[in-house]
Amino acid sequence: MKQLISLEVNGDTHEIAVEADATLLSVLRDNLGLIGAKRGCDSGGCGCCTVHVDGKAVYSCMMYALSAQGQEIVTIEGLGTEGKLDPVQDTFVKEGAVQCGYCTCGMIMTAKQLLHDDPHPDEHAIRHGIAGNLCRCTGYHKIVEAIKTAADN
Amino acid sequence: MLMTNLNVVGKRVLRQDAYEKVVGGKGFPVNFSLPGMLHGKMLRSPYPHARILRIDTSRAEQLPGVKAVMTPKDVPQIPFNPIFFMPAGSMGIHRDMLILSDTVRFAGQPVAAVAATTVAIAEQALQLIDVEYEELLAVFDPEEAMKEGAPEIHVGVKNNIRDTPSFSAGDVEAGFKDADYIFEGTYETQRVHTCYMEPRVCVSDTDSNGHITIYSSIGHLFGLRERMAYVLGLPVSKVTAVQAPYVGGSFGSKIDFAYIEALSALLSAKTRKPVRFEHTRYEDFICNARHPMKVHLKTGIKKDGTFTARYASTLCDTSAYSTHGPEVILVHAYFGLMLGYRSPHMKWEGTVVFTNNMPGGAFRGYGAPQAAFAVESQIDEICDKLGFDPIEFRLKNTPRQGDPHPFNPEWKLNSYALDECLNKGAERMGWSQRAKTGSASGAKKRGIGMAAHPLWVSGCVGFPDIYEHSGAIIRLNVDGTAYLSSATMDIGSGQNTTLCQIAAEELGLAFDSVRMAPGNTDNLPFDAPTHASRVTYSSGNAVKVAAADAKKNLLEVAATVMEANVADLEVRDGMITVKGSPAQAMSVADVVKRAESPFMVIGAQGPAPTTLKEKGTIMGISSVAPPANASPAVAEFVEVEVDTETGQVKVLRAVYAHDLGRVVNPAAAEGQVEGGLQQGIGFALMEKMLFDPETGACLTSDFLDYKMPTAVEMPSKIECIFIESNEPTGPFGAKSLAEACLIVPAPAIANAIYNAIGVRIRSLPITPEKILAALGKL
Ligand code: FES
Ligand code: FES
Repeated sequence: MKQLISLEVNGDTHEIAVEADATLLSVLRDNLGLIGAKRGCDSGGCGCCTVHVDGKAVYSCMMYALSAQGQEIVTIEGLGTEGKLDPVQDTFVKEGAVQCGYCTCGMIMTAKQLLHDDPHPDEHAIRHGIAGNLCRCTGYHKIVEAIKTAADN
Repeated sequence: MLMTNLNVVGKRVLRQDAYEKVVGGKGFPVNFSLPGMLHGKMLRSPYPHARILRIDTSRAEQLPGVKAVMTPKDVPQIPFNPIFFMPAGSMGIHRDMLILSDTVRFAGQPVAAVAATTVAIAEQALQLIDVEYEELLAVFDPEEAMKEGAPEIHVGVKNNIRDTPSFSAGDVEAGFKDADYIFEGTYETQRVHTCYMEPRVCVSDTDSNGHITIYSSIGHLFGLRERMAYVLGLPVSKVTAVQAPYVGGSFGSKIDFAYIEALSALLSAKTRKPVRFEHTRYEDFICNARHPMKVHLKTGIKKDGTFTARYASTLCDTSAYSTHGPEVILVHAYFGLMLGYRSPHMKWEGTVVFTNNMPGGAFRGYGAPQAAFAVESQIDEICDKLGFDPIEFRLKNTPRQGDPHPFNPEWKLNSYALDECLNKGAERMGWSQRAKTGSASGAKKRGIGMAAHPLWVSGCVGFPDIYEHSGAIIRLNVDGTAYLSSATMDIGSGQNTTLCQIAAEELGLAFDSVRMAPGNTDNLPFDAPTHASRVTYSSGNAVKVAAADAKKNLLEVAATVMEANVADLEVRDGMITVKGSPAQAMSVADVVKRAESPFMVIGAQGPAPTTLKEKGTIMGISSVAPPANASPAVAEFVEVEVDTETGQVKVLRAVYAHDLGRVVNPAAAEGQVEGGLQQGIGFALMEKMLFDPETGACLTSDFLDYKMPTAVEMPSKIECIFIESNEPTGPFGAKSLAEACLIVPAPAIANAIYNAIGVRIRSLPITPEKILAALGKL
């Protein structure tokens, strides 16, 4: 049985009918066309699906869409656009932190949260802060550099 | 000498696709959909070895929303091999897989498929399919599988032995007699997964003529077309494979056909609707993985530190189907085990065995990481025991610049700087200050280790039947920019950027003026898969030739409109000038405009293009088979810290030195090294696929159970030393990089662990349990 819910995403309100067991990730991707959050595992293991819910980075594959009602959801699409990048998006491009790019959006959402909580993290804090986001391409090296640079700016 | 006056090649330009990827990455195949699309799902066998006696799909078919169900009797029973880098009908590969078969040979093999209006309905329908299986005895250990009385996995394959390749040079027994010392050991490696982040996905669409168009996350466009046509019994012209702008990782895995591509096409043909499949992570894990190998290595050494004889044998578990086994073991033996170090006498014997394990696939390094772990560990043992310096020892026994290639004497090592890799890497790491083995005090002990990989050719290997040609098309636009089209798939390495750099350099345009324009198998020239460290070299060569062709055509038009000789013209930064008189200049844009619109007079400069050939779009095209990819040379040095209380190993620092010829883009090259190290640390210390010993079910089918390094396990210092030798056959002197970055880390780490604690572990991964057991603490 579907239920009609209302979700607040990137400042827009969406009325949608969802199954009770639909995850926030599937609703973002399949109902709202917000494809920045990626399905990497659907089981809380990779972080590709990371979005912000009420200011906290969460795995959207591990949250029911129903329980995200009434909360402020921000996805990568809410950060910046190609012509006007958020500073973290910008440093990811400039530092070469993007390879295949499948982890990138989730990684940036986690990095945003990290920098929000601690605007000047040391390397140890950065590495632990992004430990819930996997990347198979970069060895994290340029990702860590990008987050450092974003913090310095 | 490397050319020095380059404008674009060698520059740290930013990846073109990064901007799109940081705002969402809409170009990933996983985002692709078509109107009216159905969703496909596969029913998979719970048994590792079984015969299907009966399948009843009637209940599934009645479920509202289900549009088609397929079982083995509904699909063509054309045996195939999923490897894309050889022709589907090649003599060199064994074809023993079916899209759906009534014999199951590994747990999770698909037995039926469904297309429905939603994923949820398709999944529900799977529950309604009744399958009656006759369970057969299964065997998972390759040594057990070879014993008399073991279950027969493929009819007529005696003792489950698929292949027994071998080679020898000289008289290895005589060589051992000459030896002053003999070293012998067995080295084992485990099944690991590539763990590309984007799941395998595809959408097939069939038109009213039965023409199939497929959108997919595959790593070889033409391989996909060819294999689809082959398994469906169609001519290749009935299949179009569409190129995605980029794919979320492959590392080798996606150069194979999976079940989903064929099933989506068949379900689409049946329903006349587009059908999409997306793997779950579990399905990705059991799709293909690196072959576990057991290598026995015996080496005869003289007092002066030269080899007298080298013998090796390799046991390779090729799993339930042949797939890559017979190929991977050859690359493993020639380029991994034997040819990197000289010896007058050599012999190798391989055994490729069927088991009821999940299929083996390609994974970055293709058999070489398994070999390097054995060879480089044993060399460390030899040096340690006999007191040789590991660097001098390697230099004494490895090829030199100018030597004939040991694999093919017609090739020469034109550019080859292993000595520089070893010496510069050692200096940067502080090798001379390395402490004596086991001398560290305290509970946490540090050690330094190194490994080399003297010889590596993967792409352009010269084996029979391997696809190696590449093609490219360059089209110039009236605004002075160029489109580059190439059928290679950018699986994340950034090749679209480096290929654009090569095109821009050759054309005389700014980097920003060249853009990669995706195409499909109907309008692109053939290119081999994105695998085997081959794209910069092979596709790069093709791009350079196409760009040179376009430039020649451009200058012919320019010569007419500028009233100059072609030979006197040059292009730089989008401007064409007459050599020696810079005032006589015209932009590329203006020349292209004149060619496209030869009758335009207003504002035009010079005479109009005259000949038919000068009028029209300025293009360049190529389809070339480059000569053998020249061997890079590689050495890696690592420092580790071993906690002797917990058995934990931390890699603190890595120095990676690689002779890759011209570096086309330093940032992209570093990215390969850094990512390769992550996979290498995983291989060395953490990663291993586990299976239920009774049922063969994969127990590490998500990232909570399959542990790969996070940012915390990675060293903060990864230093790259790129040695830019000049490879005359490569584009602007370039050769290859990608795979070697994952070949050397595991033995370097194992050797560093030995240096720290004096304990030698000969099986991967080197877990805390193994370390504590070796220290006598367990
Ligand atoms: S998709 Fe959500 S954590 Fe992997
Ligand atoms: S860039 Fe490919 S997974 Fe991170």
